[in-house]
Formats: sequence, C-alpha cells, structure tokens
Amino acid sequence: MRIVIAEDSAILRAGLVQLLAMRGHQVVAAVGDARSLSEAVAEHRPDVAVIDIRMPPTHTDEGMRVAIALRREQPGLGVLVFSQYIETSFAAELLADGAAGVGYLLKDRVADLDDFIDALTRLAAGGTALDPEVVTQLLNAGRRRDALAELSPRERQVLALMAEGRTNAAIAAVLAVSERAVERQIASIFAKLDLPPSETKHRRVLAVLRYLGL
Amino acid sequence: MYGLAGLPLAAAGFVGIVTLLAVGLVFIITPLGLWIIALAVRSAQGLGSLHRRLAAALLDEHVRAAQFRPAPGILGWRRGVLGDPVGWRAIGYLMLKLPVAILGCAVTVAMLAYGAILLSYPVTRELDGSVFRSGSGAVRHGLSIAGLRLDSWPAALAVSVAGAGLILLAPWAIGKALMPDRLLIRGLLGRSWTSERLQDLQETRARAVDDATATLRRIERDLHDGAQARLVALAMNLTMAREELAGHGSAGELARTRNLVDIAHQQTKEAISELRDLARGIRPPILDNGLGAALATLVTRGGVPVELSADIPVRPSAAIETIAYFCAAELLTNVARHSGARSAAVDVTGPDGLLRMTVTDDGTGGARPGDGSGLAGLASRVGTVDGRIGIDSPAGGPTVVTIELPTHA
Repeated sequence: MRIVIAEDSAILRAGLVQLLAMRGHQVVAAVGDARSLSEAVAEHRPDVAVIDIRMPPTHTDEGMRVAIALRREQPGLGVLVFSQYIETSFAAELLADGAAGVGYLLKDRVADLDDFIDALTRLAAGGTALDPEVVTQLLNAGRRRDALAELSPRERQVLALMAEGRTNAAIAAVLAVSERAVERQIASIFAKLDLPPSETKHRRVLAVLRYLGL
Repeated sequence: MYGLAGLPLAAAGFVGIVTLLAVGLVFIITPLGLWIIALAVRSAQGLGSLHRRLAAALLDEHVRAAQFRPAPGILGWRRGVLGDPVGWRAIGYLMLKLPVAILGCAVTVAMLAYGAILLSYPVTRELDGSVFRSGSGAVRHGLSIAGLRLDSWPAALAVSVAGAGLILLAPWAIGKALMPDRLLIRGLLGRSWTSERLQDLQETRARAVDDATATLRRIERDLHDGAQARLVALAMNLTMAREELAGHGSAGELARTRNLVDIAHQQTKEAISELRDLARGIRPPILDNGLGAALATLVTRGGVPVELSADIPVRPSAAIETIAYFCAAELLTNVARHSGARSAAVDVTGPDGLLRMTVTDDGTGGARPGDGSGLAGLASRVGTVDGRIGIDSPAGGPTVVTIELPTHA
C-alpha cells in the first residue's frame, strides 16, 4: 500500500513510518499539519491517508476537517482518522457520506499490528474500519434502536463486528464459529432489516449504517 | 451650565419616577404592580446614570458606575431589579435631586442675571424708566435704593463694578451651591463601599474561574502531547520488538524475552487507556468544539440510554461550558448509579444570556443534596458563577434537575 501520514507528534510519526515499513508498506509522505496533508495527497495520490485529529495551528479538529474534505474530493482514497479520543459527533460527521473507505480508530490500536494493517488494507479497498468504541457510542446514541429490536443477541454481535469492518472469516474467528454459521447469521440480519438481495457488499454497508443509526 | 441643565432633567425624573412608583403601588395587589415598580427602579437607574454622565461631562465629577447584575431569567431579572440597591439609591437621588437642582439653578440664575444687570447699569439706567426728582427738582435717571441715589457717574460705575464682582464670584458661588449635588452623586449614584467590593470580588472570581478552566485545558494538552503520545510510541516500539522476536528461533531465553515484551505491551495498552480516561476527566478536548459535541459523546458512555437535545445558539464561555459538562457528567453518573432509571434525557437550551440544562430520568426519585449523590458538590460548582440548580425528585420519581448558568461568568 502507498500511505500518507499526517501526525504532529514527531515520535509518533516516526514510529508509524517504521511500523508500516516493517510490514512492507510504503509511506510516501509523513507530514505534521493539515495543509501539508492536502498537498501531499494531491501530489502522491496514496491508497490511504492516516490522519491525526488534533494538529496545528489550533490543535482542535483540523485533521477531521481535512479528512471530510478529502473524502468528498477523492472518493477512492481510504481515510483513517486516528486519535486519542473517540467522539460521537466526529464519528457521525465522518460517516455522514457513507461508510465506504472510512476508518476511525484509537491510536492505541497500533499496538495490535495485524489488526491495524488489516484495517488499512480494508480502507484501501473501499471498506470500513471503525473502532469498537465508535460502534458502541453510535449504538448508545442510537436513534433507531427499535429497528434492531428483532435481532437476536448473536445477530447483534455479528452486526457489531461487521460495523467495525471485519470480514466474514474474521467475524467467525472472533466468535469461534464456522464461516458458514456467520453467513447464515448475516442472511438473517439482511432479511430482518428488510435489505433485499442486490450487490452483497452494498447490502453490508447499508446494514451497518442502519445499525449505527445513520 | 450644569446648574441650568440639571433642573429640567431633575423635574422630569422626579415626576416620572414618582408617577411610576405611585401607579406601581396602586397596582401592587395585581401581578402588574411589581413589574411597574421594577420598571420604575430600572428607569431610575437609567436616569441616575444619565445624571452621572452629565456630572462627569459638565462638573468633572467622576464616579464609577455600579453595575446591575440580574439573575438569569425574566423573573430573575425582576427579582434582581427590585432587590438592587443601585436602583433604589438612584430613586433616592432623584427624590433629593429636585430641591438641590432648584437651589443650584436659582443660585446660577441669580448670580449671572443680577451680575449682568448691575454690570450694564451705566448704560441701562438711561433706558429704563426709573426716574426720581432730586432735591433741586431736576429729573434724574437712576435707581434710588433706601435713600441712596445712584445717579452720578461714579455711583453708576460703582454699581457696574459690583455687577462685575458678582459675575466673577459666580463660578465660586455656583460651585458651592452645587456641592450638595456632588455629595448626592458621590453618595447615591456611585458605588457604595460594599457594592464596590462586591464588584471587585465578582470580577476576580470570574477571572479565577476562567484561569482554572485555562489551566485544565493546558494540563489536558500537555498530557495529550506528552505522556499519552510517549506511551503510544512505547507501544509501537514494543510492537516492533515483538515482530522482531517472532522471526527468530525459539530458545528458552528467547521465549522468556518474548513473554516479558508481551507483558510490557499489555501494560502499555492499559496505561494508555487509563491515561485517556484521566485526561478526559480533567477536561474533554472535544469541549473545544462546543458543549453539544461534548455531550454527544458523554451521553453514550453511561449504562442508561440518554436522549440528548442541545440548542445553544450563542456559545457560552469556556468556563461555563466546562461547568455545564461536568454537571451533566455527574448527573448522568447519578442516574446510572442511584436512580434505577431505564432512560434519561438531557436537554440544553440557551435563551438570551442563559444556559439552561435539564437532566430528567424515569427512576425512583428521592434524590437530595447530601445523600452521597454529589448534588451538594454540583450546587457549589454552579454557585461559583452565580448559577442555580433546581432539584425536583419526589419519592417514586421522576427526577428532574435543572441547572441555570449565566453564559459568561
């Protein structure tokens, strides 16, 4: 993957570059503020941009603003927002244009490198990578709780893992069941959420968005 | 100037305020009465400050204005106005001002008018009709006062000099005549010692509250850029160490090393998570994006589903937002811990100059300050900015806690 990193802390920036290089990914640019990020993305056309939320000059939500702008300008680009905190309002804003190619993870998640690389790979392919905390928050903020009332506890578990962006195989591994079982659960979820069979990937995103109340 | 300008204003003020007060007293048995009296007090305050500015401009008499600080809300406004000593002192001033203004005006007019008349005596004695016959029967022009005949040129000149004297003395005499007015202005329109002290205390307290907020924000930022970033970097390094170890053989020493790194890795993740909660507890950085955004995350963190509605047209100061946020956090903790509620609602509105937050739950009720629910702590926190907290929690529920804060401390 070709990756651009925007992170104002020099030690985190260096650490990320090193980690990604270890797994054979190419960090084409690593910058420290939002403006340089836009320029780097325009210049290098990366597969994924990893973006810290708090960057100079105000250290509030610069990264979030650029992430949203980049999503509108470059639909193919995977955008991973990477922060010390998960905020419901940011998550909702980020997902307002759909969940394809969007990620929002806590910085701690780099500690589990396999998961982290997985997330980046999914984003590059137009998938989703939401922190479990994002999922919990959006669910608790849930404006459409009732729509999900019909789901069984196990179906909800599967849907929560789908919302994080995991594949059927990964979901099967987490729940320690067979992939076939996961597929059955998902079919049942689609039916209960009244999502007619069309393109499978599309239905997945729709189910997730409905689940998150968006 | 002041001596002349003061009188009409004083008369108008006197009549206006007395009328309003009288009407207010007549209507006192109706709800309208208190409003009219409040209006009188507020107008008196306005007129008082007009007088104060006039005195500053024309008399060079500068007194510091006492500020009116109403409690939030329309009823708070009325209560504030009726209980405001500044307004009542202004009424006192307007009542006493009329006689004082008459005195000032009289002295001013007398000194200047008589001065002018006497000064011009040598000219005017020929013109006006005051004539008398001298002992010799000749018609003479001039005044005759108590047998003293002022008909000669030297006498006329002396009168003129006296007139000039009056005019020269006028500023001094007017100054003396306005002295009571000055004393009234200082005593009734300025700040009394206590009100001045009160104002100083309010100002320093507001500064202290702002400082505290700024300090919290700085600590949170230092943690974010310092310890939190460093720990994440440490976690990254441990991740890399694990990767390196994974690629090597499996001698017993290597296994132990890997185990140590795994433990360090786990501890780092826990430290990051604990530090995040600590930093958020100091001051959630999302408050920079407004109270509504901060509450949006807060309401998802408790065990009870919370309906949030926030309509805050004008952003309050950072200190007020922080206080409101921590009040909501404390109240939602109570809801989750003590109320047994199945759902709750947080409603924030910002009618003019006020931030009103209502936290409602459908629990068992019976909450009161001092029962370990932290309500007493909330009240004192809210009190630091003259906010108010109302707790309505009958046994059996529901519980409604309303917090009102001024938007700027």
